[in-house]
Amino acid sequence: MESIKGMVFNIQRYSIDDGPGIRTTVFLKGCPLRCLWCSNPESQNPCPEIAHRESSCKRCGRCVEVCPVQAISLTEGAIRIDRNLCDNCGECVSECPHEALKIFGKEMTVDEVFAVVRKDKDYYKVTGGGVTVSGGEPLAQAEFAAALLKRCQEAGIHTCLDTSGYGAQPDLEKILPYTALVLFDLKHMDPVLHREYTGCDNELVLRNLELVVKNGTPLIIRIPLIPGHNDSDEQLAAFARVAAEVAKGAPVNIMPYHRYGTGKYKMLDLPYQLDDLKPPAEERLQRAKEIFNSFGLECEVKI
Amino acid sequence: MSVCHVNADEIRKLNVMTERLQKLKKEWEEAKPIVYVDDSLLFTQSWKETEGLPIDLRWAKAFAKKLRECPILIREGELIVGSLTKHVRGANVLCAMKPREILEQLERGAFDRKLSDIATTYIDPEDARLLKEDAEYWIEHMPPNYINDALREEFGESHFDLMMDEAMVFEGRGVRHNPDRGLFQGWGAMGGGITGPRGKVINEGLNHVIAVARAELEKMLAEGAVLDGSVAAAQRKYYLLKAIIISCEAIIDFARRHADLAREMAQRTSDPVRKAELERIARNCERVPAEPPRDFWEAVQAVRFLHVVCWKESPERAEVTIGRLDQMLYPYYEKDLRENRITRQQAAELLGCFWLKTRENENLVTIKREHRAAPGSLLPNVTICGRDKEGRDATNELSWIVLEVMRQMKLSEPAVYVRYHEDLSDEFLIFALECNRDFGGGNPAFLNDKLGTDRYLARGIKYEDASDWYASGCLAYNLDCAEHVAGTINLNQPKILEITLNNGVDPRTGKELGLKTGDVTTFTSIEQLYDAFLKQVDYFADKLRRHYFIYWSTGIANDPQSGLRAAMLYEDCIPKGLAPREGGARYPVTRMSWFGDGGITDVSDSLAAIKHLVFDQKKITMAELLEALRDNWQGKEHIRQMCLSAPKYGNDDDYVDDIFNYISMKTQEILLSRPDPFTGLKPFLFKGAAAGHVVRGKAIGALPNGRKAGQPLNDAGTSPMPGADVNGPTAVVNSATKVPHAFATVGLAHNMKLTKSLLNTREKLIKVASLIKVFMARGGWHIQFNIHSLEELLDAKKHPEKHKNLLVRVGGYSAYFVDLPPELQDEIIARTQHAV
Repeated sequence: MESIKGMVFNIQRYSIDDGPGIRTTVFLKGCPLRCLWCSNPESQNPCPEIAHRESSCKRCGRCVEVCPVQAISLTEGAIRIDRNLCDNCGECVSECPHEALKIFGKEMTVDEVFAVVRKDKDYYKVTGGGVTVSGGEPLAQAEFAAALLKRCQEAGIHTCLDTSGYGAQPDLEKILPYTALVLFDLKHMDPVLHREYTGCDNELVLRNLELVVKNGTPLIIRIPLIPGHNDSDEQLAAFARVAAEVAKGAPVNIMPYHRYGTGKYKMLDLPYQLDDLKPPAEERLQRAKEIFNSFGLECEVKI
Repeated sequence: MSVCHVNADEIRKLNVMTERLQKLKKEWEEAKPIVYVDDSLLFTQSWKETEGLPIDLRWAKAFAKKLRECPILIREGELIVGSLTKHVRGANVLCAMKPREILEQLERGAFDRKLSDIATTYIDPEDARLLKEDAEYWIEHMPPNYINDALREEFGESHFDLMMDEAMVFEGRGVRHNPDRGLFQGWGAMGGGITGPRGKVINEGLNHVIAVARAELEKMLAEGAVLDGSVAAAQRKYYLLKAIIISCEAIIDFARRHADLAREMAQRTSDPVRKAELERIARNCERVPAEPPRDFWEAVQAVRFLHVVCWKESPERAEVTIGRLDQMLYPYYEKDLRENRITRQQAAELLGCFWLKTRENENLVTIKREHRAAPGSLLPNVTICGRDKEGRDATNELSWIVLEVMRQMKLSEPAVYVRYHEDLSDEFLIFALECNRDFGGGNPAFLNDKLGTDRYLARGIKYEDASDWYASGCLAYNLDCAEHVAGTINLNQPKILEITLNNGVDPRTGKELGLKTGDVTTFTSIEQLYDAFLKQVDYFADKLRRHYFIYWSTGIANDPQSGLRAAMLYEDCIPKGLAPREGGARYPVTRMSWFGDGGITDVSDSLAAIKHLVFDQKKITMAELLEALRDNWQGKEHIRQMCLSAPKYGNDDDYVDDIFNYISMKTQEILLSRPDPFTGLKPFLFKGAAAGHVVRGKAIGALPNGRKAGQPLNDAGTSPMPGADVNGPTAVVNSATKVPHAFATVGLAHNMKLTKSLLNTREKLIKVASLIKVFMARGGWHIQFNIHSLEELLDAKKHPEKHKNLLVRVGGYSAYFVDLPPELQDEIIARTQHAV
């Protein structure tokens, strides 16, 4: 089972907002959703992707020379990657002397990931932290996620799954036995708007939420709070009802919209669709908190 | 000490910045730093009057003259008195110590204008004239260059090549005679902090010390001196006892002059409140430090007097430590509280007044020193918490109040050190981190209590003594019962690597400084290079020890010994008849050598890059690399980028950490294999480099870690290359603590920079606290957090005027960011922002 490989795009140590304590978050690449506000555009595509950081680039042209499929050109003093031609082989990345090119996504075995995770076991012990498998969408790599979480659980490391809830039920069932805590995202309660904002329906999400609850795994509801999209009082009340009724009063974490990911869109030549959106005002966050509290729910704003 | 019942909420309610302190602090902020000359003139006058007397007596008499005749003042509103100079911000100078430097500065008018980007000091025209005369007198009376003569006699002229500014294999204050200096070469070479106000002496009073000295003197006269029949030792003892008595009496007179002044001012004032305060100040100064303090206010006043007189005695910038303030003062505070004679609020205000007094001293930044030390810092460190002599948590209410005073006063000094141990409460730790965050820069720092004590226990020191230590100087520490006095000489390890890569030749000077360890281009494995490097280290370590012996023998033999310092450690110095620096303190083990081996992270990253690129991946040849280094990467930027991308220390990556650990342990082994030439004991090592990394870096060409020629080295011992630590704070801590780098080492700091957003909730503070816990559990020694947003720093560089209060910790210091030289500013900006 340990020979299973996963597509990982980042392993972030000292994660302090993805579950209790100090954690190591393993980000798996590939997601069925396309949330407009996604701050990890590199997490969406399940394959490795080349990214180009303009600010580091010295326009030396080394990448143009080495690209085996002539996908890179140097025109008007700027590097352009023809994404249709590029097969993400990574030749240019290893040749770039300025670290302006990088590749998102690396195939790793459970052992390899575990070796990184276990390095911070001292910190997990002191803070009640552990590992969090996030994404992308971990359910899309269920075998790998389950094997990794199992490995960690056997080593006495607290395990946490951070999921959008969008995935096949049997996949979720594979992972849950090795999961001590689920961070379960809710993006919108209206199926039509959910589809508009994320590209997918929310019916499956809600069914999976029921499954987690039925299974008895502790759970935290996480809501990305996106101004003008899902932050109306009505919508917040709808979230709260689900948390109170379906999730049996699970605590709620509000994840305020931020724009830290916009630079990565540029690096990947992807369009960012919420160009004019600003992070939520403090009053809105407080109001959201009040609404959840009025349903008897614990609510924390993650800032 | 008693169990602590305070909590953070109660302490936060304190208002340290009362109207009084706001006013006093504002005056201080608006005051110009002014050169203070009176003490220098009094010293010279005294020196002329004492011609022919033994040097220790001359020293004590000069000290006494300064205390009896210097101008004194009490500022409006002050509750704690006793100033180093007559200015709100005064810089003390001593012409006898460095007349040429002072004259040069006067001639360039440097005191009157911005003398560099980092310090502005003014001088009164009449004072300038007097100072010039004073300097000229000393230039005519310069002592012989005895240290360099002795070094030359033992090791030959070529020995000085090791200390050239361009080569700097040996670096530090205890390296060579500074021809610009006058008297007291040994004093000038001293680093690491000296004993300041000591609890025992405050509690017993100086009259007691005088009585003990007199009794010993009487015993000598009545029964004869029994010092193994040594006539010289008996004479030594006689003069030391005289020096102790002269010094203590002068301090008492200094305090009484303040009593007289306060009484006079009380008579003049029409304000009844101030009148009462001044009368109280008069009573305090009448009482302490001659007699034991009767309450908290007197005790704080006694600490201040003993601290300021240590500063007044010193010939140059002196790192006088304050010590364990919470332990010294708690019995007085507790008694006053019990008897309803003081409130917590009143105690906080008194400590605030004390705090500000320590900041009135400006460290004169001379032209020669501007890059050497943290400007503006005289390192009056305060230590709190730790364990007591019974091994119990010593944290008390004053430990909390000290932190709150520090937080609200927002002064770069005193720096506060928390002696962390496992029984320290989480509440306290979180409160300390909150103070750190609000304060803005690296204050307080955290030291490993157990490690500090264990290092002394390993040297056979009794637990009750071993457990009583405090942070001192820059990244050092002292036992309460034994001033350590270090002669720090640093081996410039990255320089030695450069010499190794060039087969014994220093490419910067073309001189053959090292051994011929082989042409590295013929090496077939990285191990060959390790061996060659370590052979060179061994070679230089041997030279270092010999050099050190000669330097200190000549230095000590010609410098005065201090009666004041002997008085502070009187219970041992008096019976032995020796000053602390001669071995009078209880334990000799901490007296002498510290050998520095700073720069190990630069060496390790460089070796890792060579292993990776030349031997493992074979991307470049050694010859290509050497050429790129020689050309300082000119036209070889691609090679430099490869080097920069090679594995770097600080990422919990065994590839490079293994090298770091191997080199660190081996060099440590080499340095420890040679005992201290004076005591025969293992020396203490000093891996840290507070700002010395800037100076040493200037002497080193391009390094294989990607660093350019002349750039600063990595700071503070185990801090990674700026910007190279990309795996977050846990990875850095892990890298730094895989092997016990700190056990044989004193000056090893770990600087970590966090953004404020990592500390903005209680939950997050708990997580940072856990970084400290794990760091200490893994055997780390000193950790401190700098907290800034990148924007803040960049803006501060552009608009220093808007960020006068922005504090930054460099190595073991606190300093104002805007006061730092640009290189240090850049380095702090470049230090990785762990998470955004």
